[in-house]
Amino acid sequence: MGRIVLENVTKSFGSTEVIPPLNLTIEDGEFAVFVGPSGCGKSTLLRVIAGLEDATSGKVLIDDEDVTEISPSKRGLAMVFQTYALYPHMSVRKNIAFPMRMAGMSEEEQEKRITAAANSLNLTDYLDRKPGQLSGGQRQRVAIGRAIVRDPSAFLFDEPLSNLDAALRVGMRLEITEMHERMKTTMIYVTHDQVEAMTMANKIVVLQAGVIEQVGSPLELYHRPRNKFVAGFIGSPKMNLIEGALAEEQAAHTIGIRPEHLSISDKEGLWQGTVGVAEHLGSDTFIHIHGIEGCDPMTMRAAGDVSFNHGDRVYLTPDATQIHKFDAQGLRVE
Amino acid sequence: MSDRKLPRMLQSPAVILLLIWMLVPLSMTLYFSFIRYVLNNLRRPEWTTPSISNWRGLGNYEFVLKSKDFLFAIQNSLLIVCSILFLTVVLGVLIAVLINKSFPGQGIVRVLLISPFFVMPAVNAVLWINMILDPVLGLQGIAVAGINETVAGLRNTPLIGGFFSLWPEFNPISFRATQTSAYAVIMMVTWQWTPFAVLIFMTSLQSEDQQQKEAAILDGASAWSQFRFLTLPHLGRPIAIVVMIQAIFHLSLYAEIEIVSRGNGNKNLPYLIGEFANNNIGAASATGIFAVILANIVAIFLLRMVGKTLME
Ligand SMILES: Nc1ncnc2c1ncn2[C@@H]1O[C@H](COP(=O)(O)OP(=O)(O)O)[C@@H](O)[C@H]1O
Ligand SMILES: [Mg+2]
Repeated sequence: MGRIVLENVTKSFGSTEVIPPLNLTIEDGEFAVFVGPSGCGKSTLLRVIAGLEDATSGKVLIDDEDVTEISPSKRGLAMVFQTYALYPHMSVRKNIAFPMRMAGMSEEEQEKRITAAANSLNLTDYLDRKPGQLSGGQRQRVAIGRAIVRDPSAFLFDEPLSNLDAALRVGMRLEITEMHERMKTTMIYVTHDQVEAMTMANKIVVLQAGVIEQVGSPLELYHRPRNKFVAGFIGSPKMNLIEGALAEEQAAHTIGIRPEHLSISDKEGLWQGTVGVAEHLGSDTFIHIHGIEGCDPMTMRAAGDVSFNHGDRVYLTPDATQIHKFDAQGLRVE
Repeated sequence: MSDRKLPRMLQSPAVILLLIWMLVPLSMTLYFSFIRYVLNNLRRPEWTTPSISNWRGLGNYEFVLKSKDFLFAIQNSLLIVCSILFLTVVLGVLIAVLINKSFPGQGIVRVLLISPFFVMPAVNAVLWINMILDPVLGLQGIAVAGINETVAGLRNTPLIGGFFSLWPEFNPISFRATQTSAYAVIMMVTWQWTPFAVLIFMTSLQSEDQQQKEAAILDGASAWSQFRFLTLPHLGRPIAIVVMIQAIFHLSLYAEIEIVSRGNGNKNLPYLIGEFANNNIGAASATGIFAVILANIVAIFLLRMVGKTLME
């Protein structure tokens, strides 16, 4: 079990309030991702849940039990850190055994769990090495192994993949998602990378300056962003946000259209502009178009390899059903 | 000229200088240790100039080995060095861990803690033996006298007087005496060198990874377990460094021993060399060679220890 509830949690460092009152429920077995720009308080929130920081006010409940005053180790949570935080003087085996040793578990049980964890994480050949002799990906696996053997009610991950190179990151992303599918344990995963959030989460919590902007499934956030911030943060490349005359035509303060919902033509269309830089990815082409009032440059995504030259005069047409409208406060209007 | 010769030639002045620097004193010591060489001898004036014709073979070594102070000096050297190493490392770790936490007045406390290191060894010894350890005028004498007076005063009070009348009169310890002078040296050098250990350990503690500690907290490690399994291994290397450096320094302690008791009941090898060197340079040189051997044994032993902590 691992249902985590935050009730009016706040956190201040001295006089700076990092997290204003915040309410959030994470259901048992969910994969929740906290996503937001750097410095928005994701780590702080995670650390409050873990107990490494005391909440300034409010309550943290795990399985309906108030754990606000309970020490971190008694909360039954395991955490994986960005820097792995392995114990450098201990072998991989001892690292993984450490929480069990601290809990006074029998040697046999320890050995059983180490073997199981090492098998599932492909670490069997490295058990007697020191962390310093492992690659970044292997170290991260050891950190996960150390978390698994505790059999926690929830896993907390703080940007666990940001020290890995891009290829490894994609691999580990899959492994962690796979692990969640297998174990069905609650996981809270912090990242600033919206791609990780979109690909891994059941539930995304978008944070900005300590405030929850929106909570929802990846596709909910994609299709119905509650405000301009979420609209711009989720999705890659970013949604085009257009202000001014074009928005007023649609009776909104701002309209948003995702690059993939624009079509391009050199003959006719709604909005006229000139081609700037085109980024060819092979499968897609991202074309930046200048000269459209209220949004410069506007990005559009064309499937496959489309060739337009720098300076070409083109027309863009938005898919009318995919236009998002926002009012002057930046909130979504239907 | 091949392309390797030129760099070698360019290096050679430095290498040769270093070799001379080390080899000349060592070979002269070796040479003197095998000949009869004294500063003053009226009957055999030819012994007062070093010459190969005064060859004595292993005679000087035999003389030193048989002299009554030799074994004692070696034991004492080891006792003093090992005690100081043990005390400075234990105290250094404790103090460093304690002041590594942030508290008000931290800066001043740190400066005060480091200050003994800037006192000259001879001054340190004079201060300790006269102002602190002196059985009459030093802090020790005053404190013991104070306790005795208080106890004497309390003997006459009702109720608890009976209890205090059972107490003996305390005697201050004389640290210039044969049996205790080594302890005085250990105390004063420990006081002076603990700051060095604290300084090195503190720097190391500041580089300790905080996330590892947090991970350990979540893993259920108590404060003691964190210290034992994270901090202590983290300090392994600096401890080895402190031990190595101090061993080298303290094997050659001299000023403190001279000031405390002029070597009475408390000689180490350098002090013995000094005594022989008053006249018998040959014997002093032979003792010097023994000192070199002892230093090497200690160094090898310590290097092993360093190696082990690094392997772990
Ligand atoms: N121990 C601390 N003392 C003071 N300010 C802190 C402390 N930890 C974090 N902060 C501040 O809180 C804010 C949120 O930090 P953090 O939670 O680490 O952001 P994120 O993980 O989203 O990048 C930042 O502005 C940071 O400067
Ligand atoms: Mg962070």
